[in-house]
Amino acid sequence: MGFLKVEGLTKVYDNGVVALDNVSFTVERGEFLGVIGLSGSGKSTLLRCVNRLVEPSSGRVILDGIDVTALDVPSLRAERRRIGMVFQHFNLVKRKSVLVNVLTGSLARQGTIASVLGSFSAEDRAKAMQCLEIVGLADRARVRASELSGGQQQRVAIARSLMQGPDLLLADEPVASLDPATSHSVMDHLERANKELGQTILCNLHFLSLVRRYTTRVIALKGGELAFEGRPEEIDEDWFKRIYGEQAREVGIE
Amino acid sequence: MKESETETTKPAAGASDRPTTAVTFAARIERAARGARVRAVLLDFLLVWYAVGGGLFWARWTFNGPAPPWERPESIGSSGHLVLAAVALVLALLWSRSRLSPGRMITWSTHPLLKADAPRPEGGWWRTVHGILVLAILAETVALGWKITEIDLVSLFSSEGLAGAGRIFGALFRPEFGILPLVLEKMIETIYIALVATVVAVPIAFLLSFFGAKNLMSGNRRSLAVYGAVRFSTNLMRSIEPVLWAIIFTVWVSFGPFAGMLALLVHSVASLVKLYSEQVESIDAGPVEAIEATGANRVQMVWYAVVPQIVLPYLGFTIYRWDINVRMATIIGLVGGGGVGELLMQYLGLAKYGEVGMIVVVITAVVWALDYASAKVREAIA
Ligand SMILES: Nc1ncnc2c1ncn2[C@@H]1O[C@H](COP(=O)(O)OP(=O)(O)O)[C@@H](O)[C@H]1O
Ligand SMILES: [Mg+2]
Repeated sequence: MGFLKVEGLTKVYDNGVVALDNVSFTVERGEFLGVIGLSGSGKSTLLRCVNRLVEPSSGRVILDGIDVTALDVPSLRAERRRIGMVFQHFNLVKRKSVLVNVLTGSLARQGTIASVLGSFSAEDRAKAMQCLEIVGLADRARVRASELSGGQQQRVAIARSLMQGPDLLLADEPVASLDPATSHSVMDHLERANKELGQTILCNLHFLSLVRRYTTRVIALKGGELAFEGRPEEIDEDWFKRIYGEQAREVGIE
Repeated sequence: MKESETETTKPAAGASDRPTTAVTFAARIERAARGARVRAVLLDFLLVWYAVGGGLFWARWTFNGPAPPWERPESIGSSGHLVLAAVALVLALLWSRSRLSPGRMITWSTHPLLKADAPRPEGGWWRTVHGILVLAILAETVALGWKITEIDLVSLFSSEGLAGAGRIFGALFRPEFGILPLVLEKMIETIYIALVATVVAVPIAFLLSFFGAKNLMSGNRRSLAVYGAVRFSTNLMRSIEPVLWAIIFTVWVSFGPFAGMLALLVHSVASLVKLYSEQVESIDAGPVEAIEATGANRVQMVWYAVVPQIVLPYLGFTIYRWDINVRMATIIGLVGGGGVGELLMQYLGLAKYGEVGMIVVVITAVVWALDYASAKVREAIA
């Protein structure tokens, strides 16, 4: 039981900031878990500790029975193939075409020399085009990534993740730099990955309205500590103030 | 809703429920302060040593005073030096007791953990007695500089001096066109020396630059050691001037264009590694993280996330380097590295200033033309 288990996770950055403080929780396969909290509460650090873009100071992350925190570099690389990631600022390779950006999702399956020469199999190219079709950008495949709008870039990033085909998807405020309409289109794609492909999702979110609309369960961080764990509808005014502070007022996104 | 970088950090010391982290953080500051105190004394010592020693030097010159300790035959390499150093050390130790001594100011205000703790005297540090002492040492440096470089305005403007200037300028403006074919031939040699050096240096520097970029190499101890080795050796190679490299290679492979090319090659690799590596260090880390997160290996990550971000700046640096190399190639000729510089040296030795004038005209024209062309190319790709 427990697809992803986070146990006593603590992160102290080199400058002494305690970004995560003994955080433990469990995620079941197929869940869409929302992670909320103020800016600086440790949400990004939490997601980055799961795939070890940030090295945890102590504690364990166990994915499907494998202790990710104990893996050496080659095994970590292999394990990362199962963990997709989507970022607030998309993090595409801007000077490369949309198609190449999607293909980078499959790099871990490619030989080093073949990928440096840019020779992807016809099969992989076809699959990349399919992923682009899913996010509705097949007609932009040859365009440079930098020429797309923010929402389109995030959809390319999702296509890259589809190409990778992970079991677990980490989304770090995927819509925080997008406008409301675009936000919903991006969130809908995440929802489809969750429902149709069975990807388990951990998603940092700023807006409670998005949390209520898309997630199946929520955890909240406050000053690096786990402050709430439960269903989205359980977050009433009282909890809201406890998570975001007395002064906070909820703003929505339509 | 954008996440800001200056979010409030937790007060580590006040968090009583988190004693371990608070203690380790305070301990780290304590350890940093211990190291900084030693470095501060060292800095103050060097400063005092320089100030006292330089002062003795200057006094001797100006007032014909007693010879400074290092020039007295009986004390060379012995007591005179030791006494001077000991006096400086004692003074430095005294000075470093103040939190406002220059050594302490420098070490504290440049250390990431101690910066917040550095004193900021009201009205500015330069107004304190410590600042005034440092200003006095700067003034001493100016006075010493005047003496040491033997500044002599009389010989610059005497009639004898001006006549010499007239001779050389006159010859330069009446170039000896008869040797133009020879000069052009040698100029082509110079251009090729620069070209080959640049073309061979670029791929070598390209490969090395990834190993010399801290952001790519800070993963573990071993890669950090490689980074340190690359940076150290290229810094060393770069700090040896191309002219010195040329002298080394003329001894190694004997005089001629090959020695000049090797000299430029070594210096170009070292300089390009620095420029390229700094470019790698300033890239957007986002794509790097995204590619790493897919499970791609290091080579794939560099190729897909780093290289696309650096090719254009690399091109700019390379053209710039080619520019410098053409200039350097003429200078290197002066010490036997082949090309038009060698010719220049020969005519200078014979005091044939008309021929020298011809060579200078050709060098100036070629350098100017290449400068113009490369500026245009750099503009086009920017
Ligand atoms: N690389 C880093 N070095 C030092 N401190 C960091 C670093 N990244 C984040 N922090 C600090 O850790 C805390 C948590 O940050 P983060 O995980 O980005 O929170 P969130 O994503 O919830 O805004 C903040 O106080 C932040 O300033
Ligand atoms: Mg964040």
